[in-house]
Amino acid sequence: MGEDKAREIMVTARRVWVGMQVLVIALILVFGVRPPRPLVTLGPQRHVETINPKMGVHTRLTDEVEEWKIKRTLEMVREMGAPWIVEYFPWAYYEGEKGIYDWSHPDQVVDHARRQGLTVVARLGYVPEWARPEDSAFSYLDAAHYTDFGDFVYAFVDHFRGRVQYVVIWNEPNLALEWGFQPVNPAEYTALLRIAYARAKEADPQVQVLAGALAPTLAPKGHPEGMNDLDYLQGMYDAGAADVFDILAAHAYGWRFPVDDPPAADKVNFRRVELLRQVMVRNGDDHKPIMVTEGGWNDHPRWTKGVRPYQRIAYTIGAYELAARDWDWCLAVAPYAFRFPRPARSYQDYFTFVTPEFKPKPIYREVQRYARGERGEGW
Amino acid sequence: MVTGRTMRRRAMALLLVVALTITMGTMTACPWLGGKEDRSLVRVRQAGVLRVGLDASYPPFEEIDGATGEIRGFDVDLARELGRRLGVEVEIVNSGWDGLYDALEAGRFDAVISGLVYDPWQTDRVAYSISYFNAGQVLVVREDVREDEEAIAQVGDLKGRTLGVEVGSEGDVQGHELRKRLRDLTLRPYPAPTDVLRAVRQGEVDAGLVDAISARQFIRTEGGVRIVGPPVSDELYVVAVRLEDQALLKAINAALVEMRDDGTLSRLADKWL
Repeated sequence: MGEDKAREIMVTARRVWVGMQVLVIALILVFGVRPPRPLVTLGPQRHVETINPKMGVHTRLTDEVEEWKIKRTLEMVREMGAPWIVEYFPWAYYEGEKGIYDWSHPDQVVDHARRQGLTVVARLGYVPEWARPEDSAFSYLDAAHYTDFGDFVYAFVDHFRGRVQYVVIWNEPNLALEWGFQPVNPAEYTALLRIAYARAKEADPQVQVLAGALAPTLAPKGHPEGMNDLDYLQGMYDAGAADVFDILAAHAYGWRFPVDDPPAADKVNFRRVELLRQVMVRNGDDHKPIMVTEGGWNDHPRWTKGVRPYQRIAYTIGAYELAARDWDWCLAVAPYAFRFPRPARSYQDYFTFVTPEFKPKPIYREVQRYARGERGEGW
Repeated sequence: MVTGRTMRRRAMALLLVVALTITMGTMTACPWLGGKEDRSLVRVRQAGVLRVGLDASYPPFEEIDGATGEIRGFDVDLARELGRRLGVEVEIVNSGWDGLYDALEAGRFDAVISGLVYDPWQTDRVAYSISYFNAGQVLVVREDVREDEEAIAQVGDLKGRTLGVEVGSEGDVQGHELRKRLRDLTLRPYPAPTDVLRAVRQGEVDAGLVDAISARQFIRTEGGVRIVGPPVSDELYVVAVRLEDQALLKAINAALVEMRDDGTLSRLADKWL
């Protein structure tokens, strides 16, 4: 009996000891271990230093998953000397179900951009599946769902009030590709713009609404793939668009023409923007500015529209200079595109300033020198 | 405790797994047992023709002859020589550059030979041959600079020298990388490779860093400079076939090795570059 009792006491004592150890470990875990600090922080408020406040660039952070890469991209934009960024915010990404929004990713992009001292211009588009017929294109939106897009614009502007002051409504609506593979129609687009404009102003009267940039194209009347941008813009005015946008977004690609190549109705070059300006003036909209939200040159060695690398650098810097010197109606010039999250493996990669691995291309270095007031070597 | 019966069951299960693994492996490896047979080479030989895709806008590798309208160039000659060694005719299919891979996958041709640079990002789509030409950056000096201990024979000799590069090019990028290692290196930018090469010839710079194609063409047409040392960077031109066409790839590789060893590739380069 004595031995049994002693064994029982020993067992109990061991259990108590083990229990106390578990308790101590649990207490350490609960109170002693701090949650890990976030790996990426916004960091201190920074400012862009540049000789040309109209310098911008189109970033492609929409599909960039890792936050440190978002931050690094925007740091490099600031270090290059461009105070403006244009970024794409796809409706379908943030409103997967009607009325349910997830702003976590765009919050990251916008907050990091602002912390780097950059002004964000948000392009809105990309129709979620619930707002279009099955198997339709991402750019298809029928008139019955314009109010759904209006709701999204309201939600976006409301959420980013005070953080995003510029929103671009749609992209290149004069191309069938960007209009759900339907015949393009400036009056229809104006109807969409009217709803988006009203909802944006309802959410924030201070927000600036940009009419979607038109694709520079010489497509003849009735062409199935698109409509001449100058005709399309006039069509928008005819439909009453003057009342429903504050700024005109424009795409200005130079293809193989130098930056100072004079504009002509039968030519797509950088200064074609001046012809859009003429349409605006003709329609009494000369008080409104234009913002170049895409454009530039490409130096792919095999692409028929490519130029030599030195030409791309010279023309790009020339475009920034032209906007600052001669285009008092132009708010900013944002060439396409700063960096892709992964290589496109096509001529598109030769539009970029920085590789996916953040390796600056020579154009980055030269634009940076320009922004710092230094002329690049050999110019 | 593990009983004898349990041991026997475990041994049987293990045996079954091993047998199944061997069977599956054999079936995969042996087409006649149900695996997929690679008939790519047989298909080409039975058809008697190797269809080669290219974008005829990249002289001197491929371009349309203004007089005859025929496609000619280094890659065309290479394709015909490959066909000869495989015992088949060659059909050249002109196709847009950005659609070459898609057209290959869609079966519009059997191979792409179009100044195509090896791209590790595409290796899940296509299979590449060994390289038949390296278009990477090369170091170029004046032809009449004597070869002594002061001469530039490799990038390491650039310390304290002036190097010409094409602004914005890979040579420009490489030059800036070199400058980090060789602090006394001075870079001088020029708009185009020919400007760099003329500057080398005229003694404006001690050396130039340009792509191998520009260097070879300049030597052939204007002269006065020569390439020294191994390429500073690689830009490997390769043949691409569909990923599953391993038998065809093996035959192309064997032919390319032969062409390298018997001097055919060098002769083609000398002819066109």
